[in-house]
Amino acid sequence: MRLPDSVTGSFLVVLGAASAYGGWLLPPVPGQPVGPNVFPLVIGIGLALCGLAIVFGIGHTFEEEEELIPLEDGLAAVAPPPQGKLQGKLYGLRALLPPALLLFYVVAADRLGFIITAAIIVYVTSTALGAKWKLALPLAALSPFAIHLIFGKLLRVPLPAGLLPTPW
Amino acid sequence: MLKTLLEAFALISTWEVVIAMFAASVYGLVIGSLPGLSATMATALLVPVTFYLSPIAAIATIVAASSMAIFSGDIPGALLRIPGTPASAAYADEAYAMTRKGQAELALGAGVWFSAVGGIAGVLSLMILAPPLAEVALSFSTFEYFWLALLGLMCATLVARSSPVKAIAGMFLGLLVSCIGIENPGGVPRFTFGITDLFGGIEPIPALVGVFAVAQVMRAMLTPEPPPLPRRKFGSIMAGQWMLTKKYHWQMTRGNIVGIIIGVLPGAGADMAAWVSYAMSKRFSKEPEKFGTGHVEGLVEAGASNNASIASGWVPSLLFGIPGDTIAAIAIGVLYMKGLNPGPTLFTEKASSMYAIYLMFIIANILMIPLGIAMIRVAAYILLAPRSAIMPIIMLCCAVGSFAIGNNMFGVVTVAAFGVIGYVMEANGYPVAAMVLGIVMGTMVEQAFVTSLIKSDGSILPFFERPGAAILAAMAIGALLWPVMVWVWRKVKPAQAAVATGG
Repeated sequence: MRLPDSVTGSFLVVLGAASAYGGWLLPPVPGQPVGPNVFPLVIGIGLALCGLAIVFGIGHTFEEEEELIPLEDGLAAVAPPPQGKLQGKLYGLRALLPPALLLFYVVAADRLGFIITAAIIVYVTSTALGAKWKLALPLAALSPFAIHLIFGKLLRVPLPAGLLPTPW
Repeated sequence: MLKTLLEAFALISTWEVVIAMFAASVYGLVIGSLPGLSATMATALLVPVTFYLSPIAAIATIVAASSMAIFSGDIPGALLRIPGTPASAAYADEAYAMTRKGQAELALGAGVWFSAVGGIAGVLSLMILAPPLAEVALSFSTFEYFWLALLGLMCATLVARSSPVKAIAGMFLGLLVSCIGIENPGGVPRFTFGITDLFGGIEPIPALVGVFAVAQVMRAMLTPEPPPLPRRKFGSIMAGQWMLTKKYHWQMTRGNIVGIIIGVLPGAGADMAAWVSYAMSKRFSKEPEKFGTGHVEGLVEAGASNNASIASGWVPSLLFGIPGDTIAAIAIGVLYMKGLNPGPTLFTEKASSMYAIYLMFIIANILMIPLGIAMIRVAAYILLAPRSAIMPIIMLCCAVGSFAIGNNMFGVVTVAAFGVIGYVMEANGYPVAAMVLGIVMGTMVEQAFVTSLIKSDGSILPFFERPGAAILAAMAIGALLWPVMVWVWRKVKPAQAAVATGG
């Protein structure tokens, strides 16, 4: 997800300009010179200026390139990522899995209930990180109950029961 | 004084506090020792739990978990050369070099011992500094608060080991996020786009969890698993520590003092303290050539420093509600939630609670020695747990925890969104800590800024007229111009560039 500075900088310019304009449009408090519009205006302008500076590469010299630390004694820390066939364009999209699963929780938890939704999330995350089913399946079966015990039972968070109510 | 102290003892000697503290310590040690899971994340995931505890027990969990996590970040740093928390990154190389020389016990022991000493020094500074500063703070008007908040934000951008422009941009992003909602001077819906869930604004805690926890799970999806820890037998861990204390007492004290100063500065925390102290130690050492080859001196100074900053980071938090670092930012949220609103009056009206906080810090740091030794011995087993078993649990905690904060699903959406934002920012060199502090402090900055503007009738002059305001303004502007000065300095003396980056 490494984007060129010109892209992120331009995005900030647009965002800053939009928020400055949005702030400008807000109604002022009658009889007062400053209201809710001033702060977004200042921030928006600041953000746009920073964006411009980034586009032009100001301050780039301060950035430290991430160094990969090689381990010695044959423990290759920078081992080439395994599963060569997964290394396609889609490989980078795996990073979007966690937020997607959280949105899945938002949509599904009320209907399916906490236990089932949580089990699915655990199973998918675990498998995506390379776990075999021998680990992922028991984990998906047990951890939702443990979390439910802590949050639902002890801390009384109203977790949805859904299709599969917990025994307690 | 004695009466308040006794009251404080009574406050913390309940079973709830004792159990909460012990459990949080173990939790902090475990999370801190897992590479990639930082002390901030450990603390953020604790917040939903603190909802259901009494005020003192809630603060006890935060104090214990954060102190322990900062120390236990040293463990994978020394054994695997992967710092468990960013605050250990400064000396992970050095500690790993010691392990390879067969001095793992000495390196880890120094981690425990000097962390505990540093932590206690930090508490003492909190006890000594806070009351007189509270006197000063009572005379502060919105002008001073504005500059102080700005100073905090600017320090946060300095800490970042990245481009200062990007750090400032990150800070602005955070402030922009804090604009959302109807909590503004006019009470009008601002940037809500007609979505009712946005009327209340973005809660800092789900944003923090997203940026620190979800983004970490996202990164794990694309990075190879860290190597397993070679199992090993440890000799005596505390052996030789007393000798080190005597030999390096001056380095230790200097580390403590630097840590305290950096902690007290709003916005700068344990990471910066460790980097600065390690650099100082190397600079003033009698044998600088040994650094990097497994020399314990830098470890002593930086270890003493980062834990000292944890406690002293509470000074600006308790006095002004301005967080000393991201952990303190979470702590402030908890303080507000528990009716201990930060401010100078806290020290007069809730003195016993303050003493209870000091006592808990001292106890946590003493507890760190036995628990830390136990943790070092079992670390090899804990680090055996594969990432594919830990990350799913973290995911569940993110979902449930963010739901629990407001009992609505919008919290979970916020966490997911900030996970993506944090991931993209981190990948492109935008420091997320600056954004987080922007989100936490945004409302306060705006309030101080707008009130000051109204009082001054649109003029800029009153922002500098009061002596306190003038000093703070000079500091804040100095912090803003600092990168420029470093840049000029580097142009003038390219040979000394390496030294300049160290600060």
